[in-house]
Amino acid sequence: MGAKLRVVDGAGQSGSDDVCLPTSSVHTSPHRLRVIDATLACLARYGTAKTTVDDIARQAGVSRATVYRVFPGGRDEVLAAVVDTEMARLFSSLGVRLGEADRLDDALVSGIVEASTRIRGHAALAYLVAHEPEVVLGHLAFDESDRLLATASRFTAPFLARWMSPLEAGRVAEWATRIVLSYAIAPSATMDLTDAVQTRHLVETFVLPGIRALHSTALATAIDITPFADPTIAVHPFEHGIDTGGSDRTRPAKGGTS
Amino acid sequence: MDDTRQRIIEATYACVARRGLAKTTIEDAAKEATLSRATVYRTFPGGRDELISAVVSWATLEFFAKLYEHVQGAESLEQVMEWGLVFAHRSILEHEILQRVMQTEPEKLLPALTVESVRLRQGIAAFLVPYLAARVARGVDLNEAADFLARMVLSYMSAPGRWDLDDPAQVAQLVRAELLAGVVGDVEGGLR
Repeated sequence: MGAKLRVVDGAGQSGSDDVCLPTSSVHTSPHRLRVIDATLACLARYGTAKTTVDDIARQAGVSRATVYRVFPGGRDEVLAAVVDTEMARLFSSLGVRLGEADRLDDALVSGIVEASTRIRGHAALAYLVAHEPEVVLGHLAFDESDRLLATASRFTAPFLARWMSPLEAGRVAEWATRIVLSYAIAPSATMDLTDAVQTRHLVETFVLPGIRALHSTALATAIDITPFADPTIAVHPFEHGIDTGGSDRTRPAKGGTS
Repeated sequence: MDDTRQRIIEATYACVARRGLAKTTIEDAAKEATLSRATVYRTFPGGRDELISAVVSWATLEFFAKLYEHVQGAESLEQVMEWGLVFAHRSILEHEILQRVMQTEPEKLLPALTVESVRLRQGIAAFLVPYLAARVARGVDLNEAADFLARMVLSYMSAPGRWDLDDPAQVAQLVRAELLAGVVGDVEGGLR
């Protein structure tokens, strides 16, 4: 039966609250990446059920012993490392897009398009979705979904915080993640989020007004304003509104960028 | 034939409630329904997989029926969405069988549930259309808005994320500010 993909941190312990992104240099040793990429190639062809350590070793051009040396936990550990690595790669490319954008609307559009494009174009993921859906879906339901949302929004929120408070940025990042996931899991014939024009339409119609409204309600009702970490900032820096870019440039953004 | 089908489905559901998904066989379902195995296989030629899909389908319809009943008295689009979100969120949390299967054997349930979630989304969208029709802002496509809102309702109700759906103020903010701001011309309560 297919292995349940479990996420482990660098030390090989499982059970952290969210997906761990590899950060130490240990994770970029050439053998490790070679084995991971070889595993991805196997998964794209045969899925988890038929990807053995032997298959992986052969594909990577290394010995079984090498695979076990780098991943003492064997196949399960390799598969978990594959998830971590692919998530890190996705977030890395997402970070580039988000960092490039000068305006909030551009950031949202390019971020959503980037994530959607990479998800759809991912060969191993496509194979698993088609032939072993339970393996993928296990990461997307209920509590697992909460974990995924937390990880993705924690990563992308700082990029959005250029235009809004950290708390608002967290909520918007989570919302954008939900949008990507919803359309990735259940595509719509009329809304293709790998297409920049269609995504811009969605962002401008539904997301930007929501962001402005969230901001207004936060100011008006102080439901969720928390003090900023910087004690010298006594006042919300965006009190005159968010400059979301595009055609809605009617209000000056005090303290905002662009 | 419909009666037999329904009887088998409800019997299977009872078995799952008692012993879990993995341990529920065609035999168990037949015994619980006091029917022969042959009858069960005739009704569900696709075997256990088809039977499980049918059970998930039925359970989803039941859930939606309860949701529908709960929002009956809502007087506005905002209320429909707020009441619906809160009720759906609670129902999922308190659904013993769903929670147990998700803890112990999610991989058996999830493919069927994913199929059902498409149907659920379409049901929610269709339900929202009449409430939306009177309120949708100029330039916003009614069906596109209904589909988007339905997707979001499904997403938030099954994974609340950073939102505390037991806090009415947060639910109001989520619905009236985040979700409806782009959709309706004039959000009830003046929150834009």
